[in-house]
Amino acid sequence: MNSVHSHATPPRWAEALLRVLLKPSDRESVSGDLLEEYREVVVPTRGAGADRWYVRQVSSFLWRASWGWGVVLGSALVIRYLLDTLIPVTDYSIRATALSWTIIGGCATAGFIAAWRMQSISAGALTAFTAALIGAVVSIAGIAAMLAVWHDPATLDAWRSSGGLDEAFIDVPVKLMAIGAAMGTAGALCARGAAVVL
Amino acid sequence: MADVLGAFEQAVLLEVLRLGDQAYGRAIFQAVQSRLERDLAAGAVHATLERLERKGLVCSRLGPGNSVRGGRARRYYRVQPAGIRALDAARRTLENIWRGVKWSVTKARTV
Repeated sequence: MNSVHSHATPPRWAEALLRVLLKPSDRESVSGDLLEEYREVVVPTRGAGADRWYVRQVSSFLWRASWGWGVVLGSALVIRYLLDTLIPVTDYSIRATALSWTIIGGCATAGFIAAWRMQSISAGALTAFTAALIGAVVSIAGIAAMLAVWHDPATLDAWRSSGGLDEAFIDVPVKLMAIGAAMGTAGALCARGAAVVL
Repeated sequence: MADVLGAFEQAVLLEVLRLGDQAYGRAIFQAVQSRLERDLAAGAVHATLERLERKGLVCSRLGPGNSVRGGRARRYYRVQPAGIRALDAARRTLENIWRGVKWSVTKARTV
């Protein structure tokens, strides 16, 4: 191996992120595996694209930890909009409350489980935030698909009375990410607290 | 009863078996990639090894690292007897599925 490559280093932030996303018992071995592959194979063959490869590998760890929760959060939002479209009601407060608690509970649980497994508050907060981000994308895609199917005046009126399109495409996704960060951190703090007590 | 293995789990477990004493994370990642002839995410192989270890099909130990990996330890894996039984069961299942099929699937599709 070229000695220049043996000292090549991946982006520091990506290495730090990887370590956050691993259990303490795996931090050395897994980050070492990626560094070895990066220096021996990826840098010599891909050159400037090596850092992109490394970031993609790190993203795969983050994706695995958060995509399931993201789908749960996004589906909850889509189901809510589906109900509002197909079964409109005069008072949406019960549905809004149920959805809020589902999202708060989902984000906190995602943060708790990730922090418990990785023994890191940052891992919990990051996993829940990423799950919320995925959930936002899922909900935007789902709601756009619903709009493509149902866009008659009566349905659009029903949507307006339940919050409107701005809420569906902007307010809710932004709020979801904020809740993900806040409740994920809260869940992660609970996990660390529980680990200390137990 | 032996565990039911998915196709990717079988691929990982078989590479651990083939690599023998040299079965550590990166070597397994490379071997599976080469066997399946596609780019893989390291996270997928790591998650599978973790799952196989949780099921008791492989065990692992830490070994020394080298300068290329910044001195970081290597985790070496070894297939356990339960892993061999699970591979056997997976192979028997596949053979049962294919038993009696005497023609090529490509030909059968065009009939």
